[in-house]
Order: sequence, then structure tokens, then C-alpha cells
Amino acid sequence: MLRYVTRKATGWLLMIVVATNATYFLASWFLDPRSNFKELRPVRSEIQIDRALAPYNLDPQVPIVRRWWDWLTSVVLDFDWGKSPTGVSVNGEIGYRSLVSAELVVIATILSVVIGVMLGVYTASRQYGWADRISQAVSIAVFNIPTSVAALAVVFVAIWLNQHAGLHFLYVAGENSPNVEGLLPTIGDRLLHLILPTLTLTLMGYVGYHLTQRSLLLDTINADFVRTARATGLTRAQAIRRHALRTALIPTATSVAFSVPALFTGAVITETIFGWNGMGRYFIQTISKNDVHGTVATAAFAAALTAVGAILADIATVFLDPRVRVS
Amino acid sequence: MATDVTYGAPSGAAADRPPEAAPPAWKNGRNLGLGRLYLRRFLRNRLAVAGVVIFVLLVLFSAFGGLFTPYTHSDADFAALTQPPSAAHWFGTNQGGNDVYASAVHGLQRSLVIAVSVSVLTIVVAAVIGSGAAYFGGRVERATLAVIHFLLVVPSFLILALVSHRLAGDWRVLIVVLTVFGWMSTARVIWSVSTSLRERDYVTAAEFMGVGALRIILRHLIPNLGSLLIVNLTLGVVATVLSETALSFLGFGVQTPDVSLGTMLADGASTVTSAPWLFAFPAGLVVLLTVSMTFIGDGLRDALDPTSVTGAAGGRR
Repeated sequence: MLRYVTRKATGWLLMIVVATNATYFLASWFLDPRSNFKELRPVRSEIQIDRALAPYNLDPQVPIVRRWWDWLTSVVLDFDWGKSPTGVSVNGEIGYRSLVSAELVVIATILSVVIGVMLGVYTASRQYGWADRISQAVSIAVFNIPTSVAALAVVFVAIWLNQHAGLHFLYVAGENSPNVEGLLPTIGDRLLHLILPTLTLTLMGYVGYHLTQRSLLLDTINADFVRTARATGLTRAQAIRRHALRTALIPTATSVAFSVPALFTGAVITETIFGWNGMGRYFIQTISKNDVHGTVATAAFAAALTAVGAILADIATVFLDPRVRVS
Repeated sequence: MATDVTYGAPSGAAADRPPEAAPPAWKNGRNLGLGRLYLRRFLRNRLAVAGVVIFVLLVLFSAFGGLFTPYTHSDADFAALTQPPSAAHWFGTNQGGNDVYASAVHGLQRSLVIAVSVSVLTIVVAAVIGSGAAYFGGRVERATLAVIHFLLVVPSFLILALVSHRLAGDWRVLIVVLTVFGWMSTARVIWSVSTSLRERDYVTAAEFMGVGALRIILRHLIPNLGSLLIVNLTLGVVATVLSETALSFLGFGVQTPDVSLGTMLADGASTVTSAPWLFAFPAGLVVLLTVSMTFIGDGLRDALDPTSVTGAAGGRR
């Protein structure tokens, strides 16, 4: 089992390395840190601008391969992700932010999978019942709503609730309140701030699992092996849970890996709307400030999240699918 | 709906005596018969018909909606800043005094043009690459799949934002960028279906007759993927609208002098409670557009799929 996970993890590590380096070249081509200086007064000459960028390994006069090699060696040897065009260390920025984003994405992923699969199982075993029809209609509608619209709708409802129902624990801005002291109040405050963004991301994420799990389970629920299982004396619920669901869960488990990038995209928009200082918002700031190193660090973070999701999916597949042998 | 009723009733009766009913259908030519069958199956799906009606209305709105207002999306009415909907400004005005109705017409047009052209381009690219990989097999197949899987798990949205930030503002560039980063998942679906097609006898027959690889792919594989391609075309429109609005919302897609539904959403984002109309109208249009396309795609899938039960006489309901 350990060898299997190691082998898979090595593959994903390779993927992260390739993706990160590709992003470095793309970012160096498409982002122009010099343009940050164009607005400044007094006007800087080209040479002055290049000289200002040189200490941060961003001097466009240096060949890109050399800049890349310097960046790569500092990342590998010192885990130093470089500096922004204004000289701010990327490491200092991403440390806190990646925790904030990971908290959001991980909780939303878990909730999405659990809720989506549970709804899928419930509705598939009651196909064309009223619960199935209603949840199907809701899911198709949600599936077609852009994340920005959903997040703003959540904000709108939350503000309305706050005003009309006298609630004061639905926060629509920021990941924590200032002036909160002590461990327990801090945790409680963070959890309260987490409610709405997580709700938005879960709403965006559960739909895919619900719809696919429902149709997958419908394919297996009438299969011969489930009927055989019932013939051995299992109740319908037991037969579905232990035999039909186990088969139908395998494709869902693999699809978790492919859904993490979409979830991260959702997190970018959600963090923007809810004013969270996470990696998603940082990514937008770095792109608009032509911060090559910050952009690359964000891409590496997103790739790492995907890899973690994929490895967990691989492990789940081993437990679910007897055809996969780890030894 | 009239076609549905008149055509549906005789066909039910015809099942009892096929000899009289069958010859005219054959005389009309096979294509017409097949087209009619698809149409009948499609029209039977009420949601799909509703989707078509909504979509046609949206297209008409984006094409001719501008005739009903004296304003254009770039006109600024400084006497009316952030005004709620009124007789002069049907959908109200935004912070800069732009008429939201005129912006919505223009934005919908922009989003529609981008979505439809990206979706068509994506399907073409995905069909050629997907069926090509399946046909050639071996190393080509493995390499293509590796690229597809890599691009699928790489946070392509980030790369999309990165590339379009520099190039965009221009919606034509956005079309190219969205296509380049959007073909993978469709190509994977097409590949998996094509792997069974390549084993068919007619492909082998064509190979024995010395038909070239490109010609086999274009004349034998892709036409047989027709229904899959059409369904994916409609779903591609949905996916493109969603990513275009996301990009424009974040300021990386269509940019300020130009207007799309995404930029309008961004406009209304900060004033959800104080000026809800800025957000509500573009949001409503986006959702109508995507939902209608999903219904159409669903209806097409049922109509074109030979194994579908919904299209058969009697149907599911």
C-alpha cells in the first residue's frame, strides 16, 4: 500500500514540477513588471527600471533561462519563492494565505462529496419520486448558475436575513474579525466567517457529484449482482449500500481529482466576493501587479491541492475496487 | 406543439398496420425521414422546447433589443447616476450613468458571440484530436492522452487568466484563448467513444481500399460521432458562458470599454443591496442563457440517441 501511494505521489510530484515550471515561463512571457513603473513620476528611463528590477531576479535584460535557473535553485534549495516587483517576499505572503484557502477548499470539497453522494444515493433509490424530481430540478438550476451569481445571491440573502431576522453571525466580508482575543473566541469567529463562503463553494461543488452519482447508481441498482444480493436476504437499503453503491462510487472517487481545479476557480471568485485574503485573491492581485513569482507560487499551490485530491482519490479507489491490486 | 400532436397521433395508429404507413416515409427519402424522427422526438420533450423558445428570444433580444432604446452601452447619462429602473431607463442606470438595458443588450450579444464561436471551435479541435488519437492508437494515443490529462489537472483557469490578462480587452483574442484551454474534456469523451468506432468493419474496409488516415477520420469516424458532437456543442456553450463570465467578472476577460454579462456582474457586485438592479438583470440573462442551452442539450441527447427511450412512442411519461 505504501509503495503504491509512493508511486502515485511521485507521478503527481512530477506533474506539479512540470506545471510550475511551465507557469514560470508563461508568466515571464505574459507579465511585464516594467509596466508597473510606467505610471510613476518622475518618469524612469528603461535602464533605471531594469536596474530596479534586477535585485528581484526580474531584469528583462537577463536571458529568461538564467532567470529561471536562479529561481528554480532558490526554490529547491531554500524553498524561497522569490520577490514581487516591489521587493515583498512571496513566502511571507503565501504562508498565511495558503492556510486560509486550504481551509476553505478542503472543507468545501468534503462537504460537496458527502452531500452530493448522499443526495445521489437517496434520489436514485427513489427514482421519479417527488424528492428525486425536486432535487433534480434544483441541481440542474444550480449547475447552470455562474459562481459569481451564486455568491452574490448568497450575500444578498445573508444581508437580508441579518436585517430582517435580526441575525448577526452571517459575515459577508473577511475571514476573521479584528480585536478578537483568546483561542476559543478566535476559532468561533473564524468558523462563523467560514459559513457563507463554504456554503457558496459547496453549492457549486455538490451538484456534479449529485448528478453523476445518481446516474451511476441507476446503472448498477438494477444489475444482476444486486438482485442476487437481495436474494441472499439483504434488505433493499443494505443491497444498495453494500453492493450497488460500492461499484458506483469508483468513478466518483476518480472524478474528485479532476474537480479540484474547478473548485479552486470557484475559490478565486468566492474569495474576491467575500473579501478573503486567500490564495485566490492573491492570484488576482499578483497578475494585475505583474508579479511573476507570486503568480507562479499560486499556480504551484493549486497544482499541489489537485495532487492531494488525486492521491486521496487513488487511495479510495484501492479500497473500493477489488480489481486494483496494490502489491 | 401542433406538429407534435398531429404527427404523434397517426404514428401511434400506424404501429398496428405498418405496411400502409411505411412506403411514404421511404419515398420521401431517408434523410427527411430521419430528420422528422429527430424533430418529433425533440418536440416531445417539453423542457427542450421551452429551452429553444427562451434561447430564440434571447438571440432576438440581443440582435434587435437595441432598437427600443435611444441609448447605447457607451452613452453616459450624467443626469441619472445609479437610478433604479424607470420609463426612461428600463433596467435603470449604473454608477457611470450607462443605461443598463442597452448594456444588457450589448453584453448578451458579446457573451453569445463568444460562447457560440468558442463552442464551435472547441468541438472541431476536440473532434479532430480525439478521434485522431483513437484512430492512430499506440504512441500517438498515449502522448495525446498524457497531454489531455495534464491539461485537465493543471489549474487551467489560472493560466487562462494569466494569458488573457495581457492579450484581452479584445473579445476576438478571448475566443482563441478560451478555445486553446477548453478542448480537453470534450476531446477525452470523443476519444473514448472513437476507440470503439475504430474497430468497426467500415473502418477496416476503408483501410483495405487504401483510404488515407485523414480521410478516414474526417469521412468515417467524425460523421459517426455526429450526435455526440451536437450535444457537446450545446453543453460547450454553457461551459463557455460560465468561464467567460468568471474571467470577465475578475477583470481578465472582456474589459471595460467593452461590455459583457461578466463585466456587468462585476459592476453590480459591490452594490447588491443598494442597487440590486445592476446585478439582477445580467444575472437573470446569464442563467436564462445557460439553463435554456442545458435543456436544449438534454433534448438533443434524447432525440439523437438511438437507444433512448424518451423518443419512442409512448415515452417515459
